[in-house]
Formats: sequence, structure tokens, C-alpha cells
Amino acid sequence: MSTSAPSAPDLRAEMRKGAESLATAAPPSQERGITSDLSVDEALLLHAGGWEPLDLVCGVAVVSVPVGVWNWGRGAISLASDAHNAAVDQAATALRAECGKVHGHGVVGVRVDVEVRTHHIEVALVGTAVRPAHGNDPRGRDAAEAMPFVSDLSARDFTLLLRAGWMPVGLAFGACFVYAPRRTAGTAMRQSTQNVELTNYTEAMYSARESAMERMQTSALEAGGEGVVEVKVTEGPMSFARHAVGFAAWGTAVRLVADEHQFVEPELVLPLDDAVVAFEAQSLRGAGGKR
Amino acid sequence: MTGLSDSGNPVAPPDIPAGDLPEAAVRRLQSGAYSSGLSVPDFAACLELGLEPVALVQGFCVMQWAWYGSGSGYMRGMSPYTFGSGGGGYSETYRCPHGFVSAEHRTWGQNLEQPWVEEAWARGYGTAYTRMIEEATAQGAHGVIGVVDRIGTVADTGTTEFHFLGTAVTVDGGRPPAGGVPWSTYLAGQRLTKSIEAGFMPVAVVASLASVRVWAFCVTEYLMEGQVGMGWGYTGGGPQLVEQVSKAHMAARQLARKHVRRQLVGDELHGATIDVATRELAQGDEVIDCTLRGNRVRRFKDFDPIAPPRPTVRLG
Amino acid sequence: MTDPSARVPGPEAHDLPKDAAHRLEELEHGLFTSDLSVNEFLLVKEAGFHPLGFVMGSSIYHIGIQTRKWGESQELTKLTEAMYTARELAMTRMEEEAEELGADGVVGVRLDVNYYEWGNDSAEFIAFGTAVKAEDGNSYRNALGKPFTSDLSGQDFWTLMQTGHVPQGLVMGTCVFHIAHRKLTQALGSMGQNVELPNFTQALYEARELAMTRMQDEAGRLNASGIVGVRLEEKSHQWGSHTIEFLALGTAVTRGTGEVTLPKPTTIISLDN
Repeated sequence: MSTSAPSAPDLRAEMRKGAESLATAAPPSQERGITSDLSVDEALLLHAGGWEPLDLVCGVAVVSVPVGVWNWGRGAISLASDAHNAAVDQAATALRAECGKVHGHGVVGVRVDVEVRTHHIEVALVGTAVRPAHGNDPRGRDAAEAMPFVSDLSARDFTLLLRAGWMPVGLAFGACFVYAPRRTAGTAMRQSTQNVELTNYTEAMYSARESAMERMQTSALEAGGEGVVEVKVTEGPMSFARHAVGFAAWGTAVRLVADEHQFVEPELVLPLDDAVVAFEAQSLRGAGGKR
Repeated sequence: MTGLSDSGNPVAPPDIPAGDLPEAAVRRLQSGAYSSGLSVPDFAACLELGLEPVALVQGFCVMQWAWYGSGSGYMRGMSPYTFGSGGGGYSETYRCPHGFVSAEHRTWGQNLEQPWVEEAWARGYGTAYTRMIEEATAQGAHGVIGVVDRIGTVADTGTTEFHFLGTAVTVDGGRPPAGGVPWSTYLAGQRLTKSIEAGFMPVAVVASLASVRVWAFCVTEYLMEGQVGMGWGYTGGGPQLVEQVSKAHMAARQLARKHVRRQLVGDELHGATIDVATRELAQGDEVIDCTLRGNRVRRFKDFDPIAPPRPTVRLG
Repeated sequence: MTDPSARVPGPEAHDLPKDAAHRLEELEHGLFTSDLSVNEFLLVKEAGFHPLGFVMGSSIYHIGIQTRKWGESQELTKLTEAMYTARELAMTRMEEEAEELGADGVVGVRLDVNYYEWGNDSAEFIAFGTAVKAEDGNSYRNALGKPFTSDLSGQDFWTLMQTGHVPQGLVMGTCVFHIAHRKLTQALGSMGQNVELPNFTQALYEARELAMTRMQDEAGRLNASGIVGVRLEEKSHQWGSHTIEFLALGTAVTRGTGEVTLPKPTTIISLDN
């Protein structure tokens, strides 16, 4: 995405001014310094959208999974699914509490780290609490104070949605674990040479996937959302129990807060540069990282 | 300038305050031509800002974690086995609700911050950072940009190495900060330019480690092993949150933030990264180490938000 | 040999598991879900459509054995049929979910094949995408009266609509081909030379042509005027290196009604990397 044409500020003068501010000893500050994990680009976009970062906040929850849950059974593994959903819920609650402590209206850029182990599930959420710099929260005064939103959208996507008249209201999440069904030996033999759909497998996988999606939808509705964007569905067998497959679906629940959707009217551009590999005079252990 | 006199004999290097820099570093810094860790685009951007690269600077330090021996936390009266906070940090106690005493049943548990670990880490980080800054000061630099830090354990040796690398620069027409210690930042190139344009001056890269040890008590131990029934752990009433471990995780992150904030002295932290490493010991015990790193910056002019950018769709 | 590209009769209309039905009901009551990124979401709105729901279809299929002559290059029709049918089942179920929601079409369709350790010679074929509906009240369904499917991203969908074309459906053609192993004398004869290997050339040519022709036939059935975004994928899946599946995928389109003026793009040279 392009930025507006720069009005050619005098960068050297700015740099000198900056250096000068350190040359004179700083007055002791009573302010509570903000910490934020936004990159420079994101912070600028956030400010351009009229919001400001407050603090780095986190929420972590570890939930126990009873022993024996992963032994082969039939159908959905409800104890594991409940544990996973509870872990995400609790972590989000802790995150919102931290956000509330710094008077934030919501948390953006949440990084979601999930670890599913044999006997416990750990969910860690980290993001930046934000609030409107001046003016009001588009959700209305009461909504803003009641329930901070949690969203894994980047600050960039957040400001884009705001412009279109939408706001995130929460993290929508649903998980479901299922046992891979067993075929009887007779069935296995019969099916081994045919092109045939394995209906019981299909049913089981289908069911679990739909179940995860449905829980996600329910959590979106509970957060007061009208829709969910950026849905991601991940699935895979557990590393410690290959016959158990886990499905997780999550996204950001959003709501239209303006009277109607504001069209963004994008411009079509035709870039004339080729994809070149940037020549690096000296590459020390790769790039300097995202700072 | 190669350190040779007119007659071709080596001469003693001029008197630069070397601090505790290794000899090799002193010799390298004297060679004259600068090297920089900047890529070509970053180099171009920094010239735009009036920053002139002066030298590639680095600092290095290897720390050993020791319980015993002189200088260790143990010898200074800190101990992991004290009740309460011991070192004055965060702690939280958990007591067994079962009213039952046995050799196997852990009636008492604690979440404990480990200030001796944090202190050793801070010392290692600080020493390596200071050495890098010393190299920069020796060159008359005003600041160091494009800092790359690497913190790693040398496998199985119980040591941690801290390595800093950056490009020392001078500001055209500027002065070094009050106190003579160059400023530093992880940023370089376009990102640094944007940060300056937005009105933020880099002050220093800051980082902190928070280390929290979980000494599990009976309920935690049973929950982490998924024990069902017996009333010890899982009671069958729905998913059970493992409160002790969850709190420890939260504490580790909050403490890292608190330690960093102390170093900010009212300035802001931008572009922070959190890294968490957990080491699981037996029976539900674990150690949670949380590292928070970022750029300490100070606002030097009123903030001018950029105009909202134009959305575009690319063809091809 | 039956023509594997003939449409197999689809599963019964209410073939979807009951969980799917419940989830779709929730979507019909106003909640929408989509796997579109924020960029794509905004562009889909710009194109005059609104997302209805994330739709999925899947089928776990066992691929039967097919014997083949080691020394002859030939299409393995049984395998072709299997790969085709499995994908069709997944796509059809996804279309059914879209139809249930009253959608005009599905964008961003992805077709994936997953292998699980516990299934020998079986794989899960999944199709998913976001069902959308036009906001101007017109119907954009295709010539068969079904919601269109397309693997176009939100950006490509918007750009396509700008040109005045409308997607009709995701069309695919598949062909599983066995490449003959060369006889020892043949291999020795050409060792060390720069030479075309005629049987390989012929085999791969034929296989690709078959796949593409079948794809075009599908487009023809939709009365499409063309196909955009054609992708030719070649995979050996789990069969070893002499058996390859050629899959041709694209989105069939027709010219829409109404005047359309193409916006002129601005040329830019971006200087950042």
C-alpha cells in the first residue's frame, strides 16, 4: 500500500533536533512510559487512524486435560475440546483485565500461541492495548467501557476496517478434537482395491470441523459481532497421539458501527519495477529484525 | 593509517580510552576505514538523515550461571529455598487444601521470582552492550544504529553469551548526548527515518529478563498430570484452570515489562518483542523465562500524524 | 473406457452432516463468516457483494489399486476417476452449503488434499471458500442455476468485475498418467547424449492435453466465454515418481451485461523493497 506523497521534510534538520534533545539532560519524567510491540509503520498508521497505543498486555491460561482422554475412542473428544475452548476464553479474560487496568478500549495485533500437550493446554495472548487519541470510541461510550475488544488483526488492518465503518468486537474461536474412526478388518479388505469414499471417516472429520466452526460462530455472536473476518482453520493430528485430530477455527468478530459501510474506492496501480533482490553490502546474520 | 611509523616500525596506538575492550578490538578500530553493517538501502537512508557511519562496533560477554562460588547469588544470601520473597521480588504461595500430610503429597508450593538469575542476565546484557558503546565512544560516535543482538546458550555448558553488533554514526551538525554516552537503536534505514519524522528520538535499546520458578503444590501437580478423580485434581466439573502455572506465566511477562519500564524513566518503548522460554522440570515444576526487548525513544517534537494513506490494488 | 470427465451423479441434496446444517442456520440468521483477509473483504464489498459465510466440503476417499504395464505410457483411468470424483464430492458439498445460504457464488476456493498416517491410500479432499451475495439484488448464479465458484482471491475478483466479466465456476480437468520406464537398451543407447526422450515427451504432452481439454469441456457446459487464472499442477501424491496427476484448474467467466468502462491504472515505480 502506498503512503501519501511526502512533503519533503528536512530530515537532516529533524535528526539534528532529535540529537539535540538528548544533548540537553532530560527533565525527570513522572509519566508512566508506554510500551508497545507495534512496528514503526503500524504505530504511524494507528495514529493516522486517530488511535494511540497504551501498553503491551498479555493473558495466559493453562488448562488441565484429564489423563486417558487421548486413548482411542469414538467420535468427538469433548473433554479436550472443552479444555481448549476454556483456555482461550480464560486467556482472553485475563488479557481484557490487563487492558482495562490501563484504560484501554481494546487490544490489537494479538499474537496467539497455543500448545496442546498430553495433560494440559496452554494459550498465551500478547498484544497492544489501544484507545482513541481524541474523540470517542465508534462503538459508543458505554460499549467502550464495558468490554475491551480483543483482535488478532494487525494495527494496519484495524485502521483499514475503522475507515470502512467497522470495528472488531472480539476474538472468535472454536476448537474440536476427534478420534479417527477404525475400520473393521473385513471392511478394510473390501475397500482396499476400490475407489470408494470412506463415509465414516468423512463423517467424523466433517463433524469435527463443522463443530469447531460452529463454536467459533457462537463465540462471535456472544461478543456482539455481526460477522467474522480472517477465519483461519488449522487441523492436524496430535504429535503425541497420531490417531487424534484437532481442528481449530478462529478469526476476528466485527460489527458495523457506522450507519453504513464506507466504500474505500481503491486506485488501480501498475508498478513498473521488477521483483529485484535487494543487494546487501554486508548482511550480518540477516536483517536487523522487526523493531 | 596502519599503526606503523615512518620508519616502518610499529608504534603504540594513540591513547584511546579502551575501557576493558580486548586488544583486538582496539587495533581494529584504529584502522581508519569504516565498516558498517548496513545494507545498501539502509546506508542510503541514513545518509539522508545526515548520519555518517563511522565504524562497525560490537560487544560480547559470556556469563556463567553459578549457584555456589564467590559472586553468586547463593553466597550473597539469596536462596531458592527461602519462604516468602527471599530476594525481594514477586512471590505467591499456595497451600494444600486437602488437610493431609505425606511424603508424596506436596502441601506447599510457591511461584517465585528469581532475582539472582535476572541479575546475572542483566549484568551479561549490560556488559556486552557497554562494550559496544565503548567502541563507539572511542570513535567519537554520537549514536549506534541497526543494533543486532544475539543471546544464546552455549549448549550444556550452563553459560549464556550476549553479542551486540551495530553501526556507529555521527550526526551531521549534531552533538553527542549529555553525559557523552552514544544513543542506540535497533532501527536503521527507512524505519529509523519514519521514527524521526514522527518525532521520536532513539535513546537506547533496552531489554530485561524476568525469571519465575514454579514450585508446584499438590493440586498443580495433579492437574498437570491429568489426574482424574480422587478429589485431588480434576473434579469432573468442567475444564480446570491450573491457576498456579497460569499466574506464573502472567507474572513473568508482567515483571519483564516492569523491569523494562524502570529503565525507561518516562520515555516510551517501541517495537517491543517478547520471547518466552519454559523449562519443564519434573512433577509440574517449571521455570519461565521471559525476555522483553525494544527501543527506548523520547518524543522531541509534537506528533504530526501522517495523512491517511490511499488504498491501491496492484495489477501484476 | 468411460470418459472420466463425465459428471458423476452428485450425492443426495441433504447429504451434509447435521452439524453443518446447524452451523449454516446460524449464518442465515445474519452472522457472516469469511476467510477473506481485511483487504479482500473490503474489495468484495467494493465489487458490490457481501460475504455470507465460510463454506466447506470434504470427502475422505480411498484410492483403489490400478495395475499398469511397466513399459507402456498410459493414462490410469481408475485413478483419474478417483481423484476427480473425490474432488467433485468435496466441491459439490461446498456448493450445497453455499446454496443453503442463498449465495450467488463462492470466492477464494481452495482445494486441498490431506494425508493422514492412519489411512493407507486414502486422503481427505477438502474444498473451502467464502460464499458471497450481490447487494444489488440481481442474481449472479451461473448457467446451471447454481452459485458460481471461483478460486480467485478477493483482489482478483474485484479486478475481474471491473472488466465487466462474471465468474461462472471453478473448472477442472484431471489426468493420472503412468510414464513408461525405459528399457535397459534404450537407456544405455542414449547415455551421455543430448537427446530428446520421445516417450517421455509424448506421455507428458498427452497427459497435459487431456487434463486441459477436460477442463475446457467443463467450461463449455457452463456456456462460458473463457477461462482465467489457469493453473496446471503436477503431483505424484503417494504413487512414486513414474505416476503423476495433472490437474488443470481455472475459473470460467462470461461477459456480464451492462456498460463497463475500465479504470485507467496509475503507473508507479515503487522504490521500497
